Amino acid sequence: MDYLRLALKNLLRRKVRSSLTLLGIGVAIAVLYSLLEFQRGYEKGLQDQINQLGAHIMVVPKGCPYEAATIVLHGGKWPRYMEESYFDQIKTVAGVSEAAPILMDAMINPATQDNRIFLGITEEYGKLRPKWRMAGAGFSGLNAREVILGVSVAEKFGLTVGDTYRLRQDAAGREAGKDDADMKVVGVLERTGSQDDGFVFMPLHTLQDIFKLPGKIVVVLVRSRKIDPASMDRVTQDLRALGGNMNIFPLSELLNNATQLMQVTRVFVLAIVFVAIAIGAVGVLNTILMAVFERTKEIGMMKAIGASSRDIFALIWTETVLICSVGGLVGVCIAVVSARGIEWFLRKALASQFSELPDTTLIGISGSVIISCLALAVGLGVLAGFYPAWRAGSVKPIEAIRGAN
Amino acid sequence: MVLAAAKQESRTQTEKAILPVVASARGLGKIYRRGAEDIHALQDISLDFVHGGFYCVLGPSGAGKTTLLNLLGVMDVPTTGTLIVSGRTIAEAGQVRLSEGARDRLRRENIGFIFTEFFLMTTLTAIENVQMPLLWAGKKDLEYAVELLKRVGLGHRLTHRPSELSGGEMQRVAIARALINRPKLLLADEPTGNVDTKTRDSIFELFRELNAEGLTIVLATHDRELADRVDMVVHLHEGRIVDGKEY
Repeated sequence: MDYLRLALKNLLRRKVRSSLTLLGIGVAIAVLYSLLEFQRGYEKGLQDQINQLGAHIMVVPKGCPYEAATIVLHGGKWPRYMEESYFDQIKTVAGVSEAAPILMDAMINPATQDNRIFLGITEEYGKLRPKWRMAGAGFSGLNAREVILGVSVAEKFGLTVGDTYRLRQDAAGREAGKDDADMKVVGVLERTGSQDDGFVFMPLHTLQDIFKLPGKIVVVLVRSRKIDPASMDRVTQDLRALGGNMNIFPLSELLNNATQLMQVTRVFVLAIVFVAIAIGAVGVLNTILMAVFERTKEIGMMKAIGASSRDIFALIWTETVLICSVGGLVGVCIAVVSARGIEWFLRKALASQFSELPDTTLIGISGSVIISCLALAVGLGVLAGFYPAWRAGSVKPIEAIRGAN
Repeated sequence: MVLAAAKQESRTQTEKAILPVVASARGLGKIYRRGAEDIHALQDISLDFVHGGFYCVLGPSGAGKTTLLNLLGVMDVPTTGTLIVSGRTIAEAGQVRLSEGARDRLRRENIGFIFTEFFLMTTLTAIENVQMPLLWAGKKDLEYAVELLKRVGLGHRLTHRPSELSGGEMQRVAIARALINRPKLLLADEPTGNVDTKTRDSIFELFRELNAEGLTIVLATHDRELADRVDMVVHLHEGRIVDGKEY
């Protein structure tokens, strides 16, 4: 016989009441876990996406930088262009290690509503993708009618190197002037796990020609020689000094801004979660306090047979901490088991605010988040149990005995 | 007034003098306040309870029996007078001399309590109920708990819960629980109030055996028949010790 066992038996005496209290804590902790894990997954996913870009700075025409960042991260159509010649100026900036011009466009197949994203690239793009593994020899020239396919696109159409990729078949190829855009597949990427898997890459000038955007590009991705804050600042300043009505956007800033945006939402949701947790705590306090009132005689008896006020305090406190700890554990289990559903719900709920939500799993299993949630549940028990435990410890045995007789 | 109305049969004054005193009361009184009214539950009680004695506190309801047991069991403190239990001064001239924590410890180490209503934990088995005082003492002694349950005739009921036991059996479990810390003083408040005559007699016989082994027992009852079987009887009436004839 020990405190823990006795506390457990006391809680099991009123199964329904204990279960409901436990569930209250569990649900609050489940929501908290999901939110914290979503935040962690979001930051990690975004960081991974930025890392996969292989660049430190993004140069885009003036416009909403977040919109531009979303387009660059996920691909899409952004009707703001810069002259290709601007890229030559960027290359001259000291501190720039690599720079890659990109023209990006997209077409939707009206029949399937399938969105196909096309990237016009040069050989510099490959330098930002040192981990690319590809079957095929790659482009033969900047004007060649050739494509490199992301693995998802290749799989969808069953294409391999040497086959013909028909624009009209895939996207809205029937638009004027694009019907003859049949191109040779000169490369199929191995799976990268990134957005590249769904892209169709073409030589820059080919894409400019097909989309009738001669000499235009959308973004220049820049890799800095050094990534310490001072060096990054210098390169950014030098790029800004080039003029040309451009947005020079360090990607670390994108991460910070996106995270800050998430923080605002997070503070709001956290406030709701903490209200839920506070309600749960009051529920626990109420349950334990009721139990203390109901057990006054029993507590008096315990004191009569030798328990001190401290012993009774410890017992009731143990009961509270136990119910909250188990509640916390149940909450984490609920969150982990229903992670997919919660993630689906959060993605839908936050879609309007976070169009650049990473495609990777956002709610997973994280030891640090589990420990934080369990610590909170235990802390909750410690706080909520204090008053009932003190009340129980203050019971005079004489009152209990007199009450019984 | 020392044992003024106590019936003294088997022990001589000499024997009494050489036996150590387990509890001693001088001019003990207890006043409860009910609204503006003072209730004198006990008044001017002077008694010595010597080691190995078997005492019966006899009186009708409201006579102060339970109050006296609560004071002896240091569950309550007197309003007036002096009380010494197990060599510790609980109160002197109405002033409490021992802290609540020290009283808890004194009770845990020296006193066993038995109540009319048994007060067993319904969620615990007989053996767990018996061991409960050990939890507060920070000890473990399963063997002794088993031995005690066998001693009270419940060796076959170790893992039964109170709901599976008869009234007599429950009181026996309570007796075993009161003995687990090897007390010097056993206080029993109407222990046979909720059992039939046959069970009452068997419980009383158990008390007799325990007393024969040297345990000091104070039994509060309104059952004259039981009182007649005890060496020393303290008659209480309206909080005072009275002559046996008055009751």
